[in-house]
Amino acid sequence: MHAIEVANVTKIFRKGFRAVRIPAVVDLSFTVRKGAITGFVGPNGAGKTTTIKMIEGLVHPTKGMLRINGEDAAFPRARGGVAFLSEQPYFYAHLTVSEMLRFTAELIRVPSSQIPKETQRVLETVELSRKTGTKIKELSKGMQQRLNMAQALLGSPHTLVLDEPMSGMDPPGRRLFRDLMELLRQEGRTLFFSSHVLDDIEAICDDVVVLQQGKLTYAGGVRELLDEGFTGTDVVTGEITQECREALGGAGCRFRHDEKRGEWTLFVPKTGDVAALQRILSEKGAFPRRVIPRSMTLEELLYQRKTESVT
Amino acid sequence: MNTILTVALNTFKETIRNKVLYNILLVAAAALLLSLSFGDLSLFSRAQVMTDFGLATMSLTGLLMAIFIGVGLLGVEIATKTVYGVVGRPVSRDAFIVGKFCGLCATLLLNFILIAAVFFVAIRFLGVTVKAPVVYAVLLLAVEMALIVATSIFFSTFTTPTLAAIFTVGFYIAGHLNDLMNIGAEQQRNPVWRFILVSLNRLLPNLEHFNIRTRVVYDLAVPDLFVAQAAAYGILYTVLLLLLAMVVFSRKDL
Repeated sequence: MHAIEVANVTKIFRKGFRAVRIPAVVDLSFTVRKGAITGFVGPNGAGKTTTIKMIEGLVHPTKGMLRINGEDAAFPRARGGVAFLSEQPYFYAHLTVSEMLRFTAELIRVPSSQIPKETQRVLETVELSRKTGTKIKELSKGMQQRLNMAQALLGSPHTLVLDEPMSGMDPPGRRLFRDLMELLRQEGRTLFFSSHVLDDIEAICDDVVVLQQGKLTYAGGVRELLDEGFTGTDVVTGEITQECREALGGAGCRFRHDEKRGEWTLFVPKTGDVAALQRILSEKGAFPRRVIPRSMTLEELLYQRKTESVT
Repeated sequence: MNTILTVALNTFKETIRNKVLYNILLVAAAALLLSLSFGDLSLFSRAQVMTDFGLATMSLTGLLMAIFIGVGLLGVEIATKTVYGVVGRPVSRDAFIVGKFCGLCATLLLNFILIAAVFFVAIRFLGVTVKAPVVYAVLLLAVEMALIVATSIFFSTFTTPTLAAIFTVGFYIAGHLNDLMNIGAEQQRNPVWRFILVSLNRLLPNLEHFNIRTRVVYDLAVPDLFVAQAAAYGILYTVLLLLLAMVVFSRKDL
């Protein structure tokens, strides 16, 4: 059973007096593995927030089915043990930090005897324990985002669905958040989060789901996607003879000479044999100084996919 | 049940901390105390004027509170998206609506008790004993306000807070003119207008059933059965409006 399952989901919004049809998500299908961190990527307006809202039960799909741990996401009980964190924190401004957390803890049915301990725990995790009595409207945006995270951690949920969780966070906040994600991964929790920061996705996620204009363009491992972007290997060596270059050229290498440094960069395409190249070099009395795999970044890969889908 | 109570308590806390509420309360108390001096300017006895004015003040302030707080709470909650933090949890939308309604009614009830206390003290000050019909009048006003809160919640589920407030005021006025609509329909020759008036007359509650002010002021009998029937009528309408609100809200994309 998957933590989250989205099966052939379409969402069409109707806007205005004439109820103009605006498709936000079209025939979308993907799954989120239990215990994995899955990134959700796509440009603005791709349908990420709509999809997350459908998982959250805030928006109803026009067609298709969403399941959380095998239960229909339309039913509130499916959201038990699942925490959602929205892009912007939405709080009751009249409440204090501890009152807000207490309210949420009661909603998710944390036993009342455990609420003070649980509130303290999550506040310590997000480094907000000094702000318990502060009114939410008096907190800075970054602190509100931390409180948002604290709220999501209440009751130790097995699955966390996060929409742009790091937007509005300062660098220490981002670091704290990334450490937290790592901790949650170690605890075996499932995380599904959307982000525009592809470096974060590349660094943190096991899997990635890519959306483009409401349609799925990729769903699978981050590693596999990055492997797709592996183009070859650069082997950097010192000066080499003409004879050596001819031998390497026969092996399918391309050359670039850096006169200033006195170095040659030999590019072996991903279909080439790096070991064979190293053998030829050593036979000709030259030795590699550096071996650098050349890969496209996640951002370049996604841009390429976007261009391909447009053309 | 616990969820409803949690939402209701939060709603109560939120409304109790609302400054608009205190302003309305202050105006109500000031108006009630001022009305003590109005009796000298009237042909009627001071007690009659005080009773009439007091009940009218309670009705008006109750209406203001029901609209301002009712529309403000749910409508603004949808507009500012704080609702995500509740219905995005394992909480049914129905429980959210009922919780909101209960919280609002608790606030209204507390305010009614406060205003009623000032009112009863003021009429006691004039040497008038508080009789059952006065208490009935206050009770029926409370039922009417619960109905208005349910109306404002219903309108808030599908329109903006401003429009919901306008619709609720319209509903209140039309509800009090229900008998006139019936008379108008009987005298109307245009079948379209007659149909509209008859439909409105049947569809809208007759809020005059909750207005026994004249009977109380002139010391006329108020049968217990009438009060019970009027209260049941109000509660039934309130439940109906809440059910409608639940149906609309359950289908709404937030």
